[in-house]
Amino acid sequence: MNNALSPVQLILNASLPVQIVFLILLLASVVSWVMIVQRWLVLSSANKGVLSFEQRFWSGIDLSQLYQEGTQMQKEQVQVVGLENIFRAGFKEFMRLRQQQSVDKEALMEGAQRAMRVAYSREEEKLDRNLAFLATVGSVSPYIGLFGTVIGIMEAFIGLANQAQATLQVVAPGIAEALFATAMGLFAAIPAVIAYNRYSASVDRITGAYITFSDEFSSILHRQVHTD
Amino acid sequence: MSNTFNNMVIYNGYPLSIVIAITFHSLVLAALLYLQTNNRIEALDLIQPTVIKALLIDENPQVRNEQILERQRLERIEDQRRQREEQARREQQQQEEQQRAEAERQRQERERSALLERQELERLQAEQLRREQEDRETEDQRQRELAAEQERQRQAAERDRQEQQVVAEAAAAEVARTEFELVQSATGLIQQVVQENWSRPPSARNGMRVLIKMSMLPTGEVIDVSITETSGDAAFDRAAETAVYRAAPFIELSVLPINIFNDNFRSLTLIFQPEDLLN
Repeated sequence: MNNALSPVQLILNASLPVQIVFLILLLASVVSWVMIVQRWLVLSSANKGVLSFEQRFWSGIDLSQLYQEGTQMQKEQVQVVGLENIFRAGFKEFMRLRQQQSVDKEALMEGAQRAMRVAYSREEEKLDRNLAFLATVGSVSPYIGLFGTVIGIMEAFIGLANQAQATLQVVAPGIAEALFATAMGLFAAIPAVIAYNRYSASVDRITGAYITFSDEFSSILHRQVHTD
Repeated sequence: MSNTFNNMVIYNGYPLSIVIAITFHSLVLAALLYLQTNNRIEALDLIQPTVIKALLIDENPQVRNEQILERQRLERIEDQRRQREEQARREQQQQEEQQRAEAERQRQERERSALLERQELERLQAEQLRREQEDRETEDQRQRELAAEQERQRQAAERDRQEQQVVAEAAAAEVARTEFELVQSATGLIQQVVQENWSRPPSARNGMRVLIKMSMLPTGEVIDVSITETSGDAAFDRAAETAVYRAAPFIELSVLPINIFNDNFRSLTLIFQPEDLLN
């Protein structure tokens, strides 16, 4: 009696449809938080990767030496991510085409740029992954919660109809239980929406950095091709 | 290149994320429960029962009847006692009067005899004395016998009356028992139906009390409802009145024997007194 309105009691006393709604929302919340944390790890590592690789790239290091370092890292089972992948794809393609004497300068540039574009698409896909899920949770879970609330309030009123004396105490637990569904929906949705907005901005920034870098790198390659 | 981050992102960081997400939710739930337990102390006086029980106190006609019977019985006993005392006093008085009259008569007799004595000389004196004495003795005896007879009759009458009274009381108790059950069930029924139809206004408060007097026909129809003691709240009074009208007719009363109905339900007083409201 004392804790009739505690969340645990509310969930346990709820009717089956409302309990299913609670379960769905809890799952959505947990999974969206898994996504939030995972995206945060991926995006912050990508961000750091961009900064550290740009620093190394512009430190005046020899490009083939930079490529060798990357190969070494792959041998040590360390993942190569982000900008370095784009650089490696472009550089590898450029060196390969350059070894073939028949390839002209335009085709050489084009091949390197295409390889970088492909690597860029892969990297972007890696960054974008799961963001759609966050967007879905953010937009749908309030509706699921609302659905639970409507069902719960309907049941509360049906129960009220059977009462001779319509007092607030009769409907209060049912309505509290119903509103708890909305609360859970919002609880799942709010972090998901915030994370989605933040991460999509972050992805935009990082992909912008990738595009800028690949343009810069291809201009370096272009200079190299035409100075020969 | 930062190796720690690279290591964190092994398997795209999923294991770590799952652990963090579940921990986060557990923490939120724990916080919620903690706040709830803290709130509970403050909210204790706001806790409400889920079931509302309307309480209807009925002035039980059977109890009233029993009280009346008891009073009548006591009065009867008192009456009898008074009567007995009265009779004893009267008898005593009578005896005293008789004795007084006797003494008077004897005195007159003696005076007359003295006169005769003086008139008729010594010859008659002895004879008269003897006759007088004889007369007195027979008279005394006659009176004693009369008194004893009266006493015997009185005792017999008393015994008879007592026996009759015991029998009558036993019969009355037997009738009252079956009557009691009938009345009890009918009363309970009225009470229940009225209670079901009683919807209390928001202004109802614990301890409010309104007495409703209802007059019924033997068919169970309610012909009149009046407020004999108001609660001071018009809405509350009206709600009680409406409850009776809504509950009517009490068809079940039509099966009651007419004398029981007349004694108990011709006019019935109901007390409406909520005792379970939360205000």
